[in-house]
Amino acid sequence: MTIAAQTAVAKPLPIKTGQPIDPTFRQIRDLVYKVSGIFQLEEKLYLLADGCGRRMKQLGVRTPREYCDLLSGHSSREAELRQLLNELTIGETCLFRSQPQLDALRKVILPELVQEKAKQVLKRLRIWSAGCSTGEEPYTLAMNMLEESEGLLKGWTVEILATDLNDRSVETAKTGIYGDYALRVTTDHFKRKYFSPVEGNKLEVRPEVRKLINFSRLNLQDTSKMLFMKGMDLIFCCNVLIYFDGPSKSKVVDHFFSNLNFGGYFFLGTSESLLKLNDKFHLVHFPGAIAYWKPSLKSGKL
Amino acid sequence: MTPCASIDAKIRKQVEQIETTPAIPAVFLPLLKLLNAPPEQVRLEEVVKLVSYDNTIAVQCLRVASSPLFGLPKSPESIRGAVISLGLRRVETILLTCCLGQVLPAKGLSLDPTVFWRHSLGCAMVCRKFSEKLPGADGEKAYMAGLMHDVGFLVNGLAFDKPFARAIEHAVKEQIPLVEAESATMGFTHCETGRALAEKWRLGEDIIEVIAHHHAIEQSEKAQPLVALVHLSDLLCRMRGLGYGYYERQKVDLAHDPAWAVLQKKYRDLEGVDLERFTFELDEAVANIYELVSTIFGSNAGGSTPGQN
Repeated sequence: MTIAAQTAVAKPLPIKTGQPIDPTFRQIRDLVYKVSGIFQLEEKLYLLADGCGRRMKQLGVRTPREYCDLLSGHSSREAELRQLLNELTIGETCLFRSQPQLDALRKVILPELVQEKAKQVLKRLRIWSAGCSTGEEPYTLAMNMLEESEGLLKGWTVEILATDLNDRSVETAKTGIYGDYALRVTTDHFKRKYFSPVEGNKLEVRPEVRKLINFSRLNLQDTSKMLFMKGMDLIFCCNVLIYFDGPSKSKVVDHFFSNLNFGGYFFLGTSESLLKLNDKFHLVHFPGAIAYWKPSLKSGKL
Repeated sequence: MTPCASIDAKIRKQVEQIETTPAIPAVFLPLLKLLNAPPEQVRLEEVVKLVSYDNTIAVQCLRVASSPLFGLPKSPESIRGAVISLGLRRVETILLTCCLGQVLPAKGLSLDPTVFWRHSLGCAMVCRKFSEKLPGADGEKAYMAGLMHDVGFLVNGLAFDKPFARAIEHAVKEQIPLVEAESATMGFTHCETGRALAEKWRLGEDIIEVIAHHHAIEQSEKAQPLVALVHLSDLLCRMRGLGYGYYERQKVDLAHDPAWAVLQKKYRDLEGVDLERFTFELDEAVANIYELVSTIFGSNAGGSTPGQN
């Protein structure tokens, strides 16, 4: 038997050939990273260049250099970066967006959590999708949990909390109806098992999936509400914190840390990082994915 | 992980017989000798002569030198030019990269050479990048250590092919690290077989330590920081698509690994290393590593190309 090169992780994308990228965009990439923790890979720099191009057009800025200066200026920086991040994350979301995260969840984390919590009377897992947008993430998580319901999670209750700041997003999320674009990487297995066809060539999430999820509106900056979100085993907060300024982000991350049970995990978006905002979390690597871990009490590593 | 004496003797006997294997370039061993010498004693002319001795190697070296991984703005036109613009130490590592690429027959072994070299080169590159962040660390030595750390897999493939194939099968099935599968099924690992080969080749003491102890840094006595550096780089590569081509069910906490503490003791600045960014930058280099490996192996590499796996 040969070890085939069948890696399921971190596949390199073909590098977009054509015009060379203006080196200023690398500088802008560094600025974006420093403020938001989002890292635009070299092979995706053209996406950053496109996003900047759209902003430059709207602002009437002519050169990348000039735009970079604008992003570095103290007065304009925060607002403009937010606008640029909007451009960069538009239309990004879909179901099953990060397979390596899901693999880490099912192959490494779930067995660990199940083992750690085995002695507890209440066999319950609580998952929070913070900033769930139009529901792609919580439904993806719910389906993956259901896949384990006859195996690892037999006899367990899974609760998924899905919150977003935007009322309209939450309403859309509740309908659970998706078109081709949102389902572009969802496999036929999942489509057949967990969706029913509805009008307009779309698919609707089945009730057994929906049953696991509780949707509600929540502002992550609302301290009194954040204090109530207790006992989480997993928190997913993908491409949300990038819109917060440093101090608010730090506050939210501190909340997440106390919202989690010991031994729980916190996931960000695939190319997003915490920028050392919280030194109590441990950065942990899984094949193709990173997460932040709140060490379990018995590991003695707090 | 020390095997009992009889296993050790068996490994050494097998390694002795490896001599006859094909395709070890003639320049390889003299080159290793050169690499072991203190840098100030290495003469530029000697290196140029060694490389020019083997035309295939010379051509490959020029190609490798122009890979973005080695950071040369323009492809060098002559070996001499390459030596001058890259610096002697960097050229040595490029040469070693090329030579090692030829040691393993491209086909017919349980180990896919493409996958093996992606991991070794990836680890070499991460070791060098990592050591750039540690003031006073020798980046080229780290590169060499990363490149050679798993050389024991070559020995396994050449001298213990069948049991090694079973170890691989076991690792893939159980999704466990290859070193654990080796221990479980063969009773010894690439650390012991690699050490035997490294001693036979008379590699430097530090490199031998890395080969023998990169999975158990506490056993290293003489070169613990280097062994720790390779240990961490190896783990990171395996978590970022540069492992052995199968899913390892593993959680890796680099900053709380004992190896991290070893490095921190020697290099106080370790706190400042941005591990997330380091990880993302490694992702960027993956495509370059795939390309470099196909440069070394040409189209005979077997395995898959990026985007096809």
